Amino acid sequence: MSNYVILTKSAHKDTKVILDRGEAYGDKVKVALTFPQEFRNIQSCYPIFFVKDGETGQFYPAAIFGFEENENLFLTDQGWDATYIPMMIRRHPFLIGFQPGPNGEKAEDNPVVSIDMDNPRVNSEKGEALFTEEGNQTPYLEGSIAGLETIHAGHEHNRVFLEALLANDLLEPFTLEITLNDGSNNQLLGYYTINEDKIRDLDGDTLSRLSKEGYLQAIYMQIASFARIRTLIDKKNALLPKSQ
Amino acid sequence: MGGGSAGWLTAGVIAAEHCVGSNSAVDGNPQSDGFQLILVESPDISTIGVGEGTWPSMRSTLQKMGISETKFFRECSASFKQGTLFSNWLGGEKQDSPDSYIHPFTVPHSYADTNLAPHWQLIRDQVNFADAVCPQSALAEGHQAPKKISTPEYAFQLNYGYHLDAGKFAELLRAHCVDKLGVTHIKANVEAINSAQNGDIASVVTDSAGVIEGDLFIDCSGSRSLLLGEHYQVPMCSKQKYLFNNTALAAQVPYASPEDPIQSFTLSTAQSAGWIWDIGLPSRRGVGHVYSDAHNTEERARQELLAYIEASAGKQAADQAMVRKIQFDPGHREKFWHKNCVAIGMSAGFIEPLEASALVLVELSAAMIAEQLPANRETMDLVAKRFNDKFLYRWDRIIDFLKLHYILSEREDQYWQDHRDGASIPDHLAEQVALWRHQSPWHRDTAHVDELFPSASFQYVLYGMGFETQRSATERRSEQQAYQRAGNLFQENAKRTQQLQASLPTNRELINKIHTYGLQKI
Repeated sequence: MSNYVILTKSAHKDTKVILDRGEAYGDKVKVALTFPQEFRNIQSCYPIFFVKDGETGQFYPAAIFGFEENENLFLTDQGWDATYIPMMIRRHPFLIGFQPGPNGEKAEDNPVVSIDMDNPRVNSEKGEALFTEEGNQTPYLEGSIAGLETIHAGHEHNRVFLEALLANDLLEPFTLEITLNDGSNNQLLGYYTINEDKIRDLDGDTLSRLSKEGYLQAIYMQIASFARIRTLIDKKNALLPKSQ
Repeated sequence: MGGGSAGWLTAGVIAAEHCVGSNSAVDGNPQSDGFQLILVESPDISTIGVGEGTWPSMRSTLQKMGISETKFFRECSASFKQGTLFSNWLGGEKQDSPDSYIHPFTVPHSYADTNLAPHWQLIRDQVNFADAVCPQSALAEGHQAPKKISTPEYAFQLNYGYHLDAGKFAELLRAHCVDKLGVTHIKANVEAINSAQNGDIASVVTDSAGVIEGDLFIDCSGSRSLLLGEHYQVPMCSKQKYLFNNTALAAQVPYASPEDPIQSFTLSTAQSAGWIWDIGLPSRRGVGHVYSDAHNTEERARQELLAYIEASAGKQAADQAMVRKIQFDPGHREKFWHKNCVAIGMSAGFIEPLEASALVLVELSAAMIAEQLPANRETMDLVAKRFNDKFLYRWDRIIDFLKLHYILSEREDQYWQDHRDGASIPDHLAEQVALWRHQSPWHRDTAHVDELFPSASFQYVLYGMGFETQRSATERRSEQQAYQRAGNLFQENAKRTQQLQASLPTNRELINKIHTYGLQKI
């Protein structure tokens, strides 16, 4: 379970965060939410598809790491084998929370940085410190907070991006069945993707609007990320027992 | 002619199929011609608004019209209907515990290729029929929804129709028909009818919108049946000798708390001379007592209704209930399409709402008109004949099926005894029941592909009411194999029931989420 508390200089001056990657740190996940802001980096490593939030039914874009629940084909004994790690993975153990401000600000207008004290990364001996001896934020913490702010903005970006995709009827369900080298079948189920044909058929005005708002680039990044399915398949095949 | 659910549904179904009004140009073919579809609605007549339960067919009807299911849920106070739960129909209060059974909308597991009913007969002491063959009945206990928030609009884990606020539904349909489908809406009273030489209706004369000409007139004027009944004098065929109920007392009942569970089924509870319906919308319940005035007084019927409300919603709710009385002649017109006039809805006929057949008849009638719209006046009589044959057959099947609910009862009130009197049972039904004593209903018990009630519905009612189909005295070659397969299917059903119970939200949870987030189209 998580135990988020508000991050403060006094309470967390000795707190450290382990940056290693591994199952013990909760990295063994199949998908991670992503945002158009990092699509360029994501698509260089992972397929991007759209999935539905089980609680709300709302779509969000996700980077895909495996075929089965709790399968992360990028996670090895040596760490996370990819040149880019998604922001939603790197954010741990931090989270942006909301609380009413000291001057009567509404909770939703007053983001505060929280830290999950039960996260296995959090300890007082190993890893990156959050504050310097003088009590200033370390570059690590500064970077993490900047990341949280990007994520916070990313959620809003996702909302309007998905609204634009749905309004133009550009999403479609997607199922991929792959046969591994040993003949076994694996499926990518429950994902949605952008329909390329429909993009091609859009009229000039719509295209221009999508382009101006930055969506067109995100759309083609998602389409380009298809090529990374091959990476998943190769990694999965590499895990098969070697045939004689 | 006529608004209300019948008028607007009919307009919507036809306008969704054909190029109509200003929207008549088809995409990419601006030259194509459409026709004008005008709905004339009296500003003075309020709609009756009783039909609050639909069949699963309403999902595809709405989808074809291009209505968002999210919008429908939000604007019509809609909830999920997964079938009907019948209480006290078998033995009434004389038994130790109230008897009940469910007629779910989902057909038995593997119904297309396996008839589980004979196999269930061997285990009928251990499990009721619906629970054995279908997950839907078990989910009722937790008031669970037939889908999740991530399930697309109109798709499902378990088949469903709706409970809805009929007044709001007509308003949603009106806005959609006028704004999206090109239907012309005229508010005026019809004062006279002009006939053509061949006896057709040439035009109707209105008080405030002049004379309206037309090629085809659809009478959705309700029980007045302004065109087919009043103008053409097509007589009613009373069905009261089969189905005695002719009076309803209806009331709206608030929930004690806004978090009270919403029922998955229409509840139907047998009374001394009729039954009480109970329909759960998100905001309120609609409750009503439908009875035979030959067997019950209004006073006693009212007392029974108020006692029911008090038992389920408290004394205050019973004291404050505004009870509205509705009377009807159970039956239908001798024919529905005459000359260039066709009646849909209560103008065509009305029968007690035991299996919510009113709206589905509107959907089917409108769909047939939309599909078979006569190319010219010469072919209209041929289409009319087809239409009449089809819907007379359907009315007969509705009457058979509703009657089936009564004849298996063991209740002893005079009303129930009269229902079991052979003279009150249609021949076709009596023959079928005689056959079912020796073989379970299955695909051959329905004659048409587009049959209103599938044979699975007969199974649910028969075996829910404790009916026994005798085991064959002789054995079939495939018996052993079939027996094993049935065992597997029962197990599969139990497993699927557990999975669904673990994964589906409650009706109220899901409806709240639909209001907050909406369902996705894909």
